[in-house]
Amino acid sequence: MRRSRVPIVVTVLVLAFLYLPIVILVVNSFNPARYSGRWEGFSLTWYARLLESPEIWQAVKNTLVIAVSVTAVSVVLGTIAAYALHRWGASRLQRVHYTLIYQPLVVPEILMGISLLMAFVAAGVPLGLFTVFLAHVTFCVSYVAMTVLGRLQDFDFSVIEAARDLGAGPWQSARKVLVPLLRPGIVAGALLAFTLSVDDFVITFFVAGPGSTTLPLRIYSMIKHGAPPMINALSTLLLAVTLTAVLLSRRLTTRRADPPIR
Amino acid sequence: MKRSAGFAGFVALAAAAILASSACGRAKPALSVYTWSDYVKPELVRRFERERGCRVVLDTFESNEAMYAKLRAGATGYDLLTPSSYMVSLMHAQGLLRTLDHAQLPNLVHVDPDYLDLAIDKAMDHSVPYMITNTGIAYLAGRVRDVVPSWRMFGRADLRGRMTMFNDMRETIGAALKALGHSINSTSQAELAEAETLLLEWKRNLAKFDNEQYKIGLASGEFLLVHAWSGDVFQVRRENPDVRFFVPEEGTVISCDDLVIPADARRVALAHAFIDFLLDPAVAAENTAFVYYLCPNKDSYPLLPAEIRDNPGIFLAPELRARSEMIADIGAANALYVKVWDRLKASR
Repeated sequence: MRRSRVPIVVTVLVLAFLYLPIVILVVNSFNPARYSGRWEGFSLTWYARLLESPEIWQAVKNTLVIAVSVTAVSVVLGTIAAYALHRWGASRLQRVHYTLIYQPLVVPEILMGISLLMAFVAAGVPLGLFTVFLAHVTFCVSYVAMTVLGRLQDFDFSVIEAARDLGAGPWQSARKVLVPLLRPGIVAGALLAFTLSVDDFVITFFVAGPGSTTLPLRIYSMIKHGAPPMINALSTLLLAVTLTAVLLSRRLTTRRADPPIR
Repeated sequence: MKRSAGFAGFVALAAAAILASSACGRAKPALSVYTWSDYVKPELVRRFERERGCRVVLDTFESNEAMYAKLRAGATGYDLLTPSSYMVSLMHAQGLLRTLDHAQLPNLVHVDPDYLDLAIDKAMDHSVPYMITNTGIAYLAGRVRDVVPSWRMFGRADLRGRMTMFNDMRETIGAALKALGHSINSTSQAELAEAETLLLEWKRNLAKFDNEQYKIGLASGEFLLVHAWSGDVFQVRRENPDVRFFVPEEGTVISCDDLVIPADARRVALAHAFIDFLLDPAVAAENTAFVYYLCPNKDSYPLLPAEIRDNPGIFLAPELRARSEMIADIGAANALYVKVWDRLKASR
């Protein structure tokens, strides 16, 4: 019996769809042509232009500062929210809470952007990094809460009771039993929050103020004037940094995981 | 215990970073400019910062409409904007702009009076022209024969499928109106009907209506003849020397981005100082050479590189400029244009 060719074809197609655009982006970052897309020889023009563009680096800095702080805060809030929702989900108050947490996932971004802006204006909060931070936390909390909630669905609470029986305080049992068991959900939520914060455009556009332009805002505005190929160079650099970080962390974690097995 | 302390420290650090980056530099006054990307030469911004002992914070938008929507919803904190002229009239009508104090703008004397004749805000009451660009036609010299400098080129059947026109109601209908010898801001129903007939004829030859991708299409030879803005074309030409540009002899659309100060600006004096700085002839010349759009600053012209000074696509011949116009806000008559445009886009 011959093995079906379908799986290999599907795999190749999926891989091509996922990675071909990235390969093209990396290759084009070394192409000095801006408009023609024709290969005009290897060059580091865009990398040089990138190095002397302080406003792009400012945007990168803004984006990272916001993404990191948003992730930290929304992971804490989202996890606590998920725990409350799961533990007391039947009460009427928690049902309202669930609807509120769910809202940002279904409300169109543009609506959220405009309403947040109007709320900030009404409250007299000056627009800037802080308002972008608040807006991002608003929707990131929901994503974290949903992923952690999924993990809680099949969580066995008798483990916590056992810990309490054995003399652990509420804080101790949460820290040593609950959080480690929920970690996959928390980590997934954190990654989601980080990614959403880094590439959000619509909401950020409305709530950003002077000096808080993030990378997506900068990239969009470069389409009209400016030099978009610089972004290819920047993406290639970010890709290299992320890949190195992933490889390094994998190497470090496998080494640290060794002793307990022995 | 250790891990949670580390986490708390991390949160504190992130919070501190946010506070620090929003509070730093409070000592120096900061001018917030909201503009198109790469629209001021960076060295000039740094020079202004040094001269004035201030910081310039540049934020960028990608369309007039997006910027307007944001300000309309109540966003504040910007001291200087660079919208296009038609948006300036709208914002002025709604009281979003501040009247300029001419005493703080001695360099206004350098503004080219020939362009002010075309401008909407001729007295520079609330806006100063910053950069202008001419609409015209760009083509590949090696592939298009018998070029006539006229809008009628879009009627050439031999170029069918290899031409584009702007996806912009006023620009495209304006081109047809000009080809027929009418005003770009015509509100006559008969003239618009004539323009519609002509556009329907041209549409059969067009590949698409487009404002952005035509640059790439022209550079790679996919399109042979396109409706184009001069500033963009001269950037494309650096990559494909076969690209040529002309402004049709019937006259054309001249577009302008203006410097304006929003009504709620806080650094009003500094904003005036920056406008005045940009109007300095030497500064304007450097800016023009960087952006490839033209600062309409008559005393900067002799300082420009020959490549720009002798370019008939940037400096229109006087009789051609006399036949050209800026797009004006035509109020209720806009509905007539929308109807023509809708029928044009829907036709096959």
